[in-house]
Amino acid sequence: MEILNYTEDHLKFRERIRSFFEKEVTPHVDEWEKSGITPKSIWKRIGQEGFLCTSVPKEFGGMGGDFLYSVIVSEELVQTSHTGLAAPLHSDVVVPYITSFGSEELKKKYLPLCVSGDMISAIAMTEPNAGSDLASIQTTAVEDGDDVVINGQKTFISNGINCDLLIIAARDPSTSDAYSGMDLYVVEAGTKGFEKSKKLSKMGWQSQDTAELTFTDCRIPKENRLGYKGGGFLMLMEKLQQERLMVCIGAVAGAERMLQDTLRVCGEKVDFGKPVTKLHNNRFKIVEMAAEVRLGRVFLDKLVADHIEGKSIVVDVSMAKFWTTEMAMRVADQCLELHGSYGYCEDNRMARAWRDMRVLSIFAGTNEIMKGIAVKFMGL
Amino acid sequence: MDFNLTKEQADIQKAAREFARGEFDPDRILEWDRKQEFPFSIWKRACDLGFQGVHFPETYGGQGLELLDHALIIEVFCRQDSGIGLAMALSDFGAEMLLAHGTDEQKRKVLPFLAQGKGWLTLAFLEEGYDLSTFQTISHKNGNGYVIQGKKSYVTLAGMAQHVLLVCQAESNGPEEQSAFLLTKDAKGIELEGIGEKLGMRMIPVQAVSFQRVVVTGQDMVGQEGKGSSYLREFLNPARVEAGAAGVGIAQGAFDRALDYARKREQFGKAIVTFDPIKNKLADMVTRVEMARWMVYRAASSLDQKRPAEDRWAILAKMIASKAALEVAHDAIQVHGGYGYMTEGQVEHFYRDAKALDLFMESGSIEKSMLGDRIAGRA
Repeated sequence: MEILNYTEDHLKFRERIRSFFEKEVTPHVDEWEKSGITPKSIWKRIGQEGFLCTSVPKEFGGMGGDFLYSVIVSEELVQTSHTGLAAPLHSDVVVPYITSFGSEELKKKYLPLCVSGDMISAIAMTEPNAGSDLASIQTTAVEDGDDVVINGQKTFISNGINCDLLIIAARDPSTSDAYSGMDLYVVEAGTKGFEKSKKLSKMGWQSQDTAELTFTDCRIPKENRLGYKGGGFLMLMEKLQQERLMVCIGAVAGAERMLQDTLRVCGEKVDFGKPVTKLHNNRFKIVEMAAEVRLGRVFLDKLVADHIEGKSIVVDVSMAKFWTTEMAMRVADQCLELHGSYGYCEDNRMARAWRDMRVLSIFAGTNEIMKGIAVKFMGL
Repeated sequence: MDFNLTKEQADIQKAAREFARGEFDPDRILEWDRKQEFPFSIWKRACDLGFQGVHFPETYGGQGLELLDHALIIEVFCRQDSGIGLAMALSDFGAEMLLAHGTDEQKRKVLPFLAQGKGWLTLAFLEEGYDLSTFQTISHKNGNGYVIQGKKSYVTLAGMAQHVLLVCQAESNGPEEQSAFLLTKDAKGIELEGIGEKLGMRMIPVQAVSFQRVVVTGQDMVGQEGKGSSYLREFLNPARVEAGAAGVGIAQGAFDRALDYARKREQFGKAIVTFDPIKNKLADMVTRVEMARWMVYRAASSLDQKRPAEDRWAILAKMIASKAALEVAHDAIQVHGGYGYMTEGQVEHFYRDAKALDLFMESGSIEKSMLGDRIAGRA
């Protein structure tokens, strides 16, 4: 009995996206890693093919697909050997805020463009002095007549340079309570006072245009607020569950791929007169890794099933986020060692995977924060 | 049993620390790492101040100090910056083999040259993989001399080093029969091949070197014909100690940065250093640094006391210290959060460099199996 019930349609979708990525993404990845960004044209291409925002309802241009389509897109992206094309962030993390909390006008205006890839989205929570402590953000949103004026600075924002549409978390300085004073707003790129101030240089995710954003008297219509006034923090708490689940998918699918690559490369590479995978020290190591990866897969699929059923996954996804990401980093480290000095060279996929994996335990809530959430919900 | 450094050792450590703190410019470090450039200015200055080759005898341009002194300097340099520290440590790679087995003439030619900052030495030994028992690069007898044919992978500073030590298979001898030669990089038939960009150790260019009918004379041989394999095995011990010292320095440097950040960074209204999970992490990090440090000093001291049978200490030192470097740098990134993943946070650079130690010369799992063999009595 399978944990996840993929239908014929899902499988066809997977086939289609796999061959599309092989032809139109993978061959360009090295170039994108060098330039530190993905071209907007590829976003439009994947939008045209119907691979973006698969969960957006049909009335807003989407396919109204279930969460398994999101899983498929994420898993197939892992096969392209890079992380810069953060389509899952756009489709399954940012856009759902609009789908769930946006007014009819906002949905009509933006969702079709997000589905088509004409608009790339990002979400800005983290600030230079507010990371793990999300409630302490200092960016302000002050109502002024029919407008809201935003001031502040955000950092480590994925899709920061490419984004056409940004969801920003800001606080109303007239409300002293940090939680009920927080709101989410939609801001279009190009709005006066919204500056993409700096593209950040990172250890990995080099084709991802992570950026620092600055807001100076940035004026937007009041109608751009998502949901009811003061509801921002709760919206984040709700949607962060799926964001963390997306990270788990990247971790497990990434670990599976690294292990496959290692078995292939090290099955051919000879040392001490034998293929590296046949050396006795290495064989147990490989079996141990395979067991960990399998555990991660079972845990993940069960979580995906629970999430689709609408069960609360707060505790489980927090545990899965720290466990699967730490597992993926262990696997990356050991796979690289099996590759030997060759693995240390950038002309194979392993070196990049090792660099890319390191951030999984940090973003979408650090693993320490994940443990803290589990502690709280377990009543410890 | 005295675990304290001597006054002289403590003075060297202090001088190296002051030099590193004063001269290793963080902006230049980021640039060198990004552009994959050797830190020439620092290297030159370090040589002028006598920090390179301290363990060479005075007659060969050194200060007649011990391997432990040399290890202390490597540690301190790596603590300030992993990239510069490794570049310094690898500038004279192979010198200990020459010291032990070179002729007086060979030593006079090369060692003062290294200590005075006139150039570099490299050792070409690895081919594909870590197996050192049989090489495909072979020296064929040719009259009174030899002709060398073959290819070596992952040769550090190959494009820069004027002197190349080569360990290759000796013709028509058994598998362990190898010879060592000292060549100059201008020798006809030596060609370099790039290996592309590397994950870390980016200030140290590494190339593959092919030898196309390279003609050498009997005078170019280091030590005796057919003894190269034992020279190499013996050389790996000081090399492991040096790599171990680099590991201790990288681990300590990553820890220093994590502690400093944890004290400054406030979340939830308090410095994060006050939170138990961060304190526990810092405690784990210190445990690893200290375990590695004392293992490396023990191994260095064992070699200084000329206990050649004790290569288990050198293996243990490299294995534990390279693991410590990797794990501590990994944790240091975590303590830094998102900032740790950014280039300007600097700790990611320590982490990438640390991973090289785990693969350099031999991997951690090879070391474990060598140790197992020694314990079981096979080698």
